[in-house]
Amino acid sequence: MKAYYTISPWQLMKNLLVIAVFTALAGGTAEAESGTGFYRDQDMLPGSYRLYLQSPDLAGMLWKVGPRKSTLRKASFKPDAHEGVADYSPRSLCNDCHRDHERDIHMSRVGITCVQCHRDDPIAGVYQYYSAMNPIRRHAYVCAKCHEGATPSFATYMVHEPRALALSTLDSFPLLGYATWFMVILAGGVFVFFVPYTALWGVRELIGKMFGRSGHG
Amino acid sequence: MAEATRKLRRFSVTHRLWHLGLIVIFMTLSVTGIAWMYLETPWGKSVAGWFGGWENTLEIHKIAGLVMLAGFAGHILYMLYKIDWKRFPGSLLGPDTLVFQWVDIKGFFKHLGWIFGLAKAPRFDRWSWWEKFDYWAVWWGFIIVGLTGLILYNPVLSSDYMPGWLLNVMLWVHRVEAVLAMGHIFTIHFFVEHFRPHNFPYNASMFDGLVDLEQAREEHPEWIERLQREGKLEGLLTNEPPVPLRILYFGVGYAIIGLGLFLLIFALANFAQLTLF
Repeated sequence: MKAYYTISPWQLMKNLLVIAVFTALAGGTAEAESGTGFYRDQDMLPGSYRLYLQSPDLAGMLWKVGPRKSTLRKASFKPDAHEGVADYSPRSLCNDCHRDHERDIHMSRVGITCVQCHRDDPIAGVYQYYSAMNPIRRHAYVCAKCHEGATPSFATYMVHEPRALALSTLDSFPLLGYATWFMVILAGGVFVFFVPYTALWGVRELIGKMFGRSGHG
Repeated sequence: MAEATRKLRRFSVTHRLWHLGLIVIFMTLSVTGIAWMYLETPWGKSVAGWFGGWENTLEIHKIAGLVMLAGFAGHILYMLYKIDWKRFPGSLLGPDTLVFQWVDIKGFFKHLGWIFGLAKAPRFDRWSWWEKFDYWAVWWGFIIVGLTGLILYNPVLSSDYMPGWLLNVMLWVHRVEAVLAMGHIFTIHFFVEHFRPHNFPYNASMFDGLVDLEQAREEHPEWIERLQREGKLEGLLTNEPPVPLRILYFGVGYAIIGLGLFLLIFALANFAQLTLF
């Protein structure tokens, strides 16, 4: 059996480096200084993740540009979310109907399947009181299976994020849409400018060389 | 000094070591980052396989990112150390600094005019406008990729200080900026520094620190004339490095260029398979 209380020197060095960098950036926190790096301090102390929530202005500003709640469905509160769904069979493929949930790097990259988070049939609605996916316990029952120490804040990560470049995302998740568009325009601008510029530059130098004239750039 | 050996020392050992470190860390981040981004494709899986799977790939990517940030911090300290504080801020505006100045704006338009045959070739001093752009582009890239990368390093810890959905935003900013950086280096930077007729087939300046004097006279005439006026030119002239060393520089350089082009070509070829977009 693996002795879980041991930590390799390499792991210890890595943890210390990460803590040092984060502490320096965050201006130093008592938790980071006193933490062992093994247990999350918020297991025992008031969670530092609540800091931004304790500032109503900051939290309000952030959530204004964050993901908007989609329309709640009755099925999301049922113990069996598929109850009464025509043609539903436990053998159906999830993506046959939930096409907007295909874009998920957990599944596409690491092969995590739907049931690993949503559990097996009958699949409870995500807001059903006892569902593991209910936001009151999602961080502990779902996220923390892989992401040790996951918090409710962490669990607001959108696993099934909207298409970042879709125009509808500017409404449904404004910050994601605008930030991605800004970056794409920035990157596109660099290429739109420099690719023709350098190509013409190359042609100009070639012409100069062919006609025996010195020329560089 | 014989005509054939007229090489001019342009980059110090420190400059070259910074650049070498940058190459190593940038390529490590590129290979591991592309492998992670393309993990859903067979090609991405095979690249991740070079490192023993996606977990190791991601771990190496993260560690390389920390090394990159440490190097960036070191570079800032080096830069602060090199600034002539006695003559500050005037010292930032000399011809030897990489700070963008009015002369660079003029240099850009003159260069553009020269490309279209409307003006004579601009007379650059030690640094041309595109060399300064290349230098500062690394800063811009490091700040964006570094900051988002640091947040993504430990997403659970980061979400203590911000809502978890900001990680979605950070991932996209990180991704697009990384694609921009790799795309720029593997196409524009490689072309300008190695493939345009003036430098083809290979510009080893960042390895041996030397430039051909005649080429420097063409591309940086103001610099050469200034060195002559100040009587510093002779002191900077040197011999070509020995042949084995030149072969080594060429081999290492082309291995890096080859790796960059490999990533670029296969990333473009496999792009349609990504479900991200």
